[in-house]
Amino acid sequence: MQVYLPIAEMSVDAFLLMGIGFGVGWLSGLFGVGGGFLLTPLLILVGIPSPVAVASGANQTLGASVSGLIAQWRRGNVDARMGTVLLAGGFVGSVAGVQLFALLRRVGQVDLAVSLFYVVVLGTVGGLMVVESVKAILRRRTATRRKLHEHFWAHGLPLKMRFRKSRLYISVIPPFLIGAGIGLLSAVMGVGGGFMLVPAMIYLLGMPTSVVIGTSLFQVVFVAANVTLLAAVQLGTVDVLLTLLLLAGGVAGAQFGAQMGTRLRGEETRALLGLLVLGVALSLLWGLLRPPENLFSTGPAL
Amino acid sequence: MLAGLLFLLPALPLRALAQELPLVAALSRTDIEVTTGFTGASLVVFGSTEQPIGPGGDEVIVVARGPTRPIVVRRKVSVAGVIWVNGPSARFSGVPGYYVVSGTRPAWQILPEEERLRNALGLDALPLASTGARSPNFRAALLDLERKSGLWLEDSEPVEIAGSRLFHVRLPLPASVPTGDYRVEVLLVRSRRIVARQELEFRVDRVGMADRVATVAQNQPLVYGVVCILFAALAGWLGSVLFRRG
Repeated sequence: MQVYLPIAEMSVDAFLLMGIGFGVGWLSGLFGVGGGFLLTPLLILVGIPSPVAVASGANQTLGASVSGLIAQWRRGNVDARMGTVLLAGGFVGSVAGVQLFALLRRVGQVDLAVSLFYVVVLGTVGGLMVVESVKAILRRRTATRRKLHEHFWAHGLPLKMRFRKSRLYISVIPPFLIGAGIGLLSAVMGVGGGFMLVPAMIYLLGMPTSVVIGTSLFQVVFVAANVTLLAAVQLGTVDVLLTLLLLAGGVAGAQFGAQMGTRLRGEETRALLGLLVLGVALSLLWGLLRPPENLFSTGPAL
Repeated sequence: MLAGLLFLLPALPLRALAQELPLVAALSRTDIEVTTGFTGASLVVFGSTEQPIGPGGDEVIVVARGPTRPIVVRRKVSVAGVIWVNGPSARFSGVPGYYVVSGTRPAWQILPEEERLRNALGLDALPLASTGARSPNFRAALLDLERKSGLWLEDSEPVEIAGSRLFHVRLPLPASVPTGDYRVEVLLVRSRRIVARQELEFRVDRVGMADRVATVAQNQPLVYGVVCILFAALAGWLGSVLFRRG
């Protein structure tokens, strides 16, 4: 069934979009991440213009994360204070990111920038995840105990604040900067950033795992909302029909994935997710390295 | 008898009119509606001539032009022999979003070259002013890409002749057809000269939900952004409620 997307100004198969939504939702339910990092490249692959794919991907991420946030909030797994600090950074970062995106669009380097961001960020995160989880799987045999809480340079910074839920007393500067970084990536890549935020919260801030997912969802939902709003106002690239079609498949897929995810062990899940992330990075890298079929491309003059 | 008379009466002024005009043409539809289910459309340009058309007689050329917009053509260059990056670009102003030319025979066969260029009949005759990169490759690439998208066509199907005085040609409008006002020119060519022309118009418009979405997004982007956020949040919440036990 062909559907005309009013903002992308093109006709796409609705079932293809719902299928993509379902597949990405299934994987995101399985691994407990938003799945934006898979969605945006897939949309670009089926021919959606990158600016529309990025903005609508951010909008979809918002929808996909809302139900998770509600569930986590009910269980009291959201550190709202930490979330607010991250969010303050996230707003600054996403505003900067949308400006950067507008600039890239004017000079005609959006596709390159989106691909490069994906290759660098996904390559790094995916590589780290695989290495870390393989180590963890090996460690399970030798069973050495890891220190719960480490003190390092970040603890010497000013503007300290007590985060009761996270059982932390740290400066607001590191979480603010992390939030800003994720916000920037969110605006350029159309991702929520959960897959980067979760490790950053665990390893850089030392937050307990129980509140990490809920707090990251808190940040993802509001940053994605901000990116959606800015993209709609400044770039005019949010396609609400595209978002809703993706969500229609996505929310169903996420529930099935989540059920399956409970049967997988943590380390194996992380290793698989790491491989998936690495795979996406490598395929995008190949797209940059391969000699293009057509050297020329056209776009609207802005 | 009576029926024959009734048939003759209104036919009289029409016959007189047809004899005054060497060319009469019309469009099968003047409004193309782009709905959410739009997958492309087509319309037919048809008409009749006073003199016989076809081999040895008159010729008909039909040219359709869509709304214009500025386009940038970029060329990829290899940076340090490793990655491919958009490099030099040329900016073309006033590029028609749709251009189809068709004739009973190709325009270059039936018109002198300067006449054909003056009337911009043929992709190579399109007046495309550009700034930026100078190479003619950019213009060639623009023609190539627009042709691939199905929005620019040159003699893809000829103007068909029926009964030596009637002609018709189909104009295909793919799903990516831009919205706006379209102009169709029908030219009558006799002994390598344009002896008559008629201009017709049609519109491509978004209607229904596609139109409302695009209009709100353009005129009230802030409202649209908020609505997108609320819709996405609602859809996500609703989905989780529906599929919780699934």
